[in-house]
Amino acid sequence: MKLELDATVERGGFTLQVATTLASAASGVFGPSGSGKSTLLGLVAGLVRPTRGRVVLDGEVLDDVAARIHVPTHRRRLGVVFQHGHLLPHLSVAGNLEYGERLVPPAQRRIKRDEVVELLEIGDLLGRAPRTLSGGQRQRVALGRALLCSPRLLLLDEPLAALDRGLKRQILPYLRRVRDAFAMPLLFVSHDLSELLQVCDELVLVADGRLAGQGTLGAIAGDARLLPLLHEAGLVNVLHGTVSGHEPAEALTQVTLDGGARVTCPLRGDPIGSRLELLLRPDEVALATTDVTGISLQNRLPGTIRVITAASDRILVTVDIGQDLLVEVSARTVQQLGLQVGQPVWILFKAMSLGGRG
Amino acid sequence: MLSDLEFQILLLSLQVAGTALLLMVVPGVVMGWVLARLRFPGKALVDAVVHLPLVLPPVVTGWLLLIACGRHSPIGQLLESWFGWRLVFDWKGAVLAAAVMAFPLLVRSVRLAIELADRDVERAAATCGASPLRVFGTVTLPLAMPGILAGLVLAFARCLGEFGATITLAGNIPGESRTLPVAIWQFTQMPDGDAAVWRLVTLSVLVSVAALVGSEWMARRLGARLGPA
Repeated sequence: MKLELDATVERGGFTLQVATTLASAASGVFGPSGSGKSTLLGLVAGLVRPTRGRVVLDGEVLDDVAARIHVPTHRRRLGVVFQHGHLLPHLSVAGNLEYGERLVPPAQRRIKRDEVVELLEIGDLLGRAPRTLSGGQRQRVALGRALLCSPRLLLLDEPLAALDRGLKRQILPYLRRVRDAFAMPLLFVSHDLSELLQVCDELVLVADGRLAGQGTLGAIAGDARLLPLLHEAGLVNVLHGTVSGHEPAEALTQVTLDGGARVTCPLRGDPIGSRLELLLRPDEVALATTDVTGISLQNRLPGTIRVITAASDRILVTVDIGQDLLVEVSARTVQQLGLQVGQPVWILFKAMSLGGRG
Repeated sequence: MLSDLEFQILLLSLQVAGTALLLMVVPGVVMGWVLARLRFPGKALVDAVVHLPLVLPPVVTGWLLLIACGRHSPIGQLLESWFGWRLVFDWKGAVLAAAVMAFPLLVRSVRLAIELADRDVERAAATCGASPLRVFGTVTLPLAMPGILAGLVLAFARCLGEFGATITLAGNIPGESRTLPVAIWQFTQMPDGDAAVWRLVTLSVLVSVAALVGSEWMARRLGARLGPA
């Protein structure tokens, strides 16, 4: 997937101006509410028309104001999942799933209905009317409907924002499954950074109608000017790893992180060998210049300081523990410990801090 | 139960109202959509013209139709030379009068129903690959259907009750333009017409109630399907 954007959208006093290329399999767009991220998605979907510039997807010009080209939404071959699902209320779940599928020429159907139904676990819902579904069920059906359009790119517009925390946690794995099982490129818009970090590998930060930053979390976290926006979006570490053991008696689970570090987290149901993502807030991690023993914190890992980003009131230290880990410390700590880039340090945190909490 | 004469009056009324309804259902839905969704210069004028029969005295509407479509008007001559149709003193005139009078009621209902149809659901359908025309047919129309049905019932009732424009344009010809209201008026003018008036009035009430009950039943079936989304 290659999405080239160089466009301006003006709507009722608000201006969105973007110039970038998105080429990763899963891009996450975040930023404060009103920053223009949904407008950006609308621009790609063709629901919002640019006043200047071009939108090009995989070499096909979708918008070119100068050349008077505007491919209407229904010819863009995209899938969109909206915040509130917007299922067709007069059709059953099955009818909704078929709605887009039937409009795709059979030769172009890349995704099979049975697979989608199985993957999203919506087989029991097929005969139901949309209004009888719970919020989470509705979003799964909306996701299925979008997939069955065999889209070139799946656009997700705050698909989890209307769900409570518990439901978010249930839906996120489905998004990852969709990404992996169908090799489906995603453009995921959310105000909540932690959601994006669990699904996307490239981030785009939108603020005041402009692209403020783009790249991995590490790259964005290295820009001091962006730190306040990162915190506002719910900055959190997402650690990728594999379950390596359970200790039910102590209610703990051992996880080997990608890069080799071993950590302990509260007991999980995932079987040994399964992949998982653990969330760790930067302000729940302590830094030490030497290994500390005789302490209640279960997790002690050696690492190297890669980046120190200082904003006005807080300092974010990026520590390489085999993968990047963001640690928030005070300015005084940096001074007292004499922290420098390249310095070996120990990071410490409680097992309880490692949650799957969204 | 019904005398031949009463049966003829009832049949004519249903025929006139039914034909008028068939005639205006497509233009009514299209006009409702246009007024609900499009913005164009002169929209206020179109809106006013469509609604004029609602506020004009029916006799005035009938007289204007007579001028516009009578035998000596260009439209009247066209209809006569092409189809051999005459509107004046003819049941087709009664149909035209009823349709024109009921049209604004249909348009108002359709317009309201389409304005209330969820644009977001329409957008979602477009992202699934549905063209604007398909979105209209598979989303807008089904969502607006309860309102459209209500508008049709209202329009049907208006057609059945149409009097002023009908008698002005099509007269009071038995079997042609003597519909229920015209016949009732006719009998009220006769010294011993009371019994006939009572019977026709009862018939009129029965037909209207049947239409109302039927529409309520359909709306409920549709409503059960749509529900609060």
